[in-house]
Amino acid sequence: MSQIESETSTGAAEAVLVVDDEVLVRMVIAAYLRDCGYRVIEAASPDEARLVIEHDDEGAISIVLSGVAMPAQGDGFELAQWIRQRRPDLEVVLAGTPARAADAAGDICQRGPMLAKPYEPQVVLDRIRWLLSRRPRPQT
Amino acid sequence: MAAADFQDPCGDTGAQPTVLIVEDEVLIRMLLSEALRQEGYAVVEAANADEALSVLESSPSPDVLITDVKMPGSIDGFELAAYVRRTKPELKVIITSGHASPDRAIGVADAFLPKPYDLALIVQRLRTLIEAT
Repeated sequence: MSQIESETSTGAAEAVLVVDDEVLVRMVIAAYLRDCGYRVIEAASPDEARLVIEHDDEGAISIVLSGVAMPAQGDGFELAQWIRQRRPDLEVVLAGTPARAADAAGDICQRGPMLAKPYEPQVVLDRIRWLLSRRPRPQT
Repeated sequence: MAAADFQDPCGDTGAQPTVLIVEDEVLIRMLLSEALRQEGYAVVEAANADEALSVLESSPSPDVLITDVKMPGSIDGFELAAYVRRTKPELKVIITSGHASPDRAIGVADAFLPKPYDLALIVQRLRTLIEAT
């Protein structure tokens, strides 16, 4: 039994795979989708996403929400093409900015397991911006 | 809800203890994260120590850090643990490794668990650490 199978056998909800190399964005988007009732798997790169999908033998993942430009890790377009070839059943949503990611998460939430959004996507975006503003700038 | 309302960046209620998991192997990170969420913990995931530093420097501190040792990035798990011990001494630290000597965890961590670890064991150690605070 694969690791994902062992998890889904516990009766977990429909899964969304969130892919982003910016941890503060990924963390907030994933938390929002969990608040919306989804089971969420986090991947920090397209390579991690591919590994997770390859182990999704039971088809627990139904949606992939991915960033676009991940300079050190490949990009979201390549990941989307790979998914299209390997798992055409998966819905892939690409979001190039935190604002688009928040909007996309709101759309996913809207049609998710809960009857109403726990809060609006703007709150998600505000949260991301607040966190990013607190992160120390790299020293040059 | 306004932006100022969410001082907890993890998206959780704040009632449950928060665990920051730092692990570069995604399947292990996923398995451990989901196990801890099922136990009622709020979990934040970082894929390496640099991501963990971003979380620690931007967000309210978690209650427990669980970190692997050997990971890509500018620092390893021991260095991350040493940084945490220096800057956030109240934060409990569990180090896990399949290769490193547990001796290096002395002074920077509250527990060392060799890999591969049993999920039930890590949950038990976590509970013990949190109850001790």
